[in-house]
Amino acid sequence: MTRHEMLYSMKLIRAFENALAAHPDHGFQLLSAGEEAVAVGVCAALAPQDQLLTGGRSIGFALARGLTPAEVMAELLGKSTGTNRGKGGRGHLSAPAQGFFGAHAVVAGNISIAAGVALARLMTGDPGIAVVVFGDGASGAGILHETLNIAALWRLPVLFICNNNQLSVSTPRQAVLAPKMISDLALAYGITARTFDGMQVDIVAEAVANAVQAIRSGAGPAFLEFTSCRFAAHSTAARETRSRDELQRLRLACPIMDLTAALLTTGQINHEALATMDSDVSDKVAAALNFADASPFPDAAEALSDVF
Amino acid sequence: MPPTHQRLFYREAIVRALRETMADDPRVFVMGQDVGAFGGAYREFDGLFAAFGPARVRDTPVAEAAMIGIGVGAAAAGLRPVVSITYMDFLMLGLDPLVNYAAKLSYKTGGQLHAPIVIKTTAGAKGQGVAHSQCIESWLMGVPGLKLVCPSNPADAYGLMVAALEDPGPVIFVDHKKLFPVPGDVPVARYRTPIGTAKIIRAGSDITIATYSYMTRVAHQAADLLINEGISCEVIDLRSLIPLDAALVAQSVARTKNLLTLEEGQVTCGVGSEVAAQVQRRLGPVRVHRVGALPAPVSSNPVLEAACIPNAQRLVDEIKFFINATNPECLHP
Repeated sequence: MTRHEMLYSMKLIRAFENALAAHPDHGFQLLSAGEEAVAVGVCAALAPQDQLLTGGRSIGFALARGLTPAEVMAELLGKSTGTNRGKGGRGHLSAPAQGFFGAHAVVAGNISIAAGVALARLMTGDPGIAVVVFGDGASGAGILHETLNIAALWRLPVLFICNNNQLSVSTPRQAVLAPKMISDLALAYGITARTFDGMQVDIVAEAVANAVQAIRSGAGPAFLEFTSCRFAAHSTAARETRSRDELQRLRLACPIMDLTAALLTTGQINHEALATMDSDVSDKVAAALNFADASPFPDAAEALSDVF
Repeated sequence: MPPTHQRLFYREAIVRALRETMADDPRVFVMGQDVGAFGGAYREFDGLFAAFGPARVRDTPVAEAAMIGIGVGAAAAGLRPVVSITYMDFLMLGLDPLVNYAAKLSYKTGGQLHAPIVIKTTAGAKGQGVAHSQCIESWLMGVPGLKLVCPSNPADAYGLMVAALEDPGPVIFVDHKKLFPVPGDVPVARYRTPIGTAKIIRAGSDITIATYSYMTRVAHQAADLLINEGISCEVIDLRSLIPLDAALVAQSVARTKNLLTLEEGQVTCGVGSEVAAQVQRRLGPVRVHRVGALPAPVSSNPVLEAACIPNAQRLVDEIKFFINATNPECLHP
């Protein structure tokens, strides 16, 4: 993925989420402004045959993985044209045929599932790997440790990625996790693990590409921690605990603004091209909203389909 | 003529179903604690490691949540795992991937993914104490998306395991510790026992005993004793708890007019409560009496364990009270 494409993808995520949050019927949503570089950097390094699993904060990853804004918007607004026919909704987006095995909204709930996907790949000789993204909030859960141990023992082709946005709803990471670095957790199991700046999409993409290459070559699992920053509250319905001033300061370190500045400085993009990009992103998001709004809700009979 | 049946212990019937299916279907594999060369805590995986090797018979650490989660993930990605949870008490440790993920997977993905997994676990009292004896089947009965089978004999153990291994899942397969060394005749030809079908295992006219797993044997013993008292018991082996074959129980109760449910677990919100409710929905008010363990932990102390769990003599007493009572649910203050 080129830097242009990565910028475009980050802008699309930001605009999509802003439009979703402004939609009067959005219910409540888990947004990711500030964390776009992790979603885009991770997906830039994956191949079509890989499977990506995430926690509930998944919109950025779904879009960066290539799901269409229309099918994602429809799903998040509960429409039958959504990725999951409107039955998964927020926190459960899924499109395995597109390499997005899916989100799962139980904190830490997808970690062992991803190792299982990796085991299936190992046992069937499938060349794809499994990649699971979870937050700092999931890193205190016992299932992470159980899964790291088995993944290391069985040399599973799975990449563990902690998107450390430094807040678990309102609780700072330092208040609830003892290790100096979250990536330290994996070292005890002999798993290659490192922490990187998650606000720089180039850094994320390169780190993930290197880890993926090692896993593909049979090196067993790897663990990456990306330090990022959530610009908004936990959800669109949750109270923000940080002050206006603090938020303003945090938002100055924006992955989209940083990459834009870098591309302008090096002459890789000009203002005209940026304006075209912005207008294209707006059109895409508007079309997604129109598609979702025009789509029907599932029939009430769907409540009993696909249960058993 | 070659024989049509073979004599197998319950544990051997399980192994046979697994061995045959693993030979036919490369997607099927086993993972759990001590399932490898050791052959399982009750030798119910005996010989599989030698036949299929460590890639398909995987020993795991003591990590029930990850065992079930990894199994469920592998199932969702196209394999057919059998995850062994040695004691049903420890299923509690793995309920998150089972209940929050596997049971919901087909629904929440709009049919894109399924979890064809078999969780094989062992319930029941056999001297192992408060945290190794519990029967918590009824906990699972309110979870849409799960199936739950509890065979009582080698032939059903084989047939239900074959069916479970072919089911879109997830299926919880519950053994009882006391059943592993029980012998029985098992058809030589491959067959499946349909999940969701109960069976009348003893015909009678005065009372219907709806039960399952090891308690079917207690029901038989009590029924034998009651012949002398002039009470004829019909015994139904439920075999599957999800789906529950309440129709068969209702047909029986329509004749006997008396329904007694018998389980080794708790009667409060128990299997019997659900059987009774579903039968009454079909027949209107009927006489019902629920029998199960005392409302107390199951001790490893032999005297206390025996006091807690229903046995034939207690069941005989309960049935006699019930048959004669005008208001059966008031038997116990």
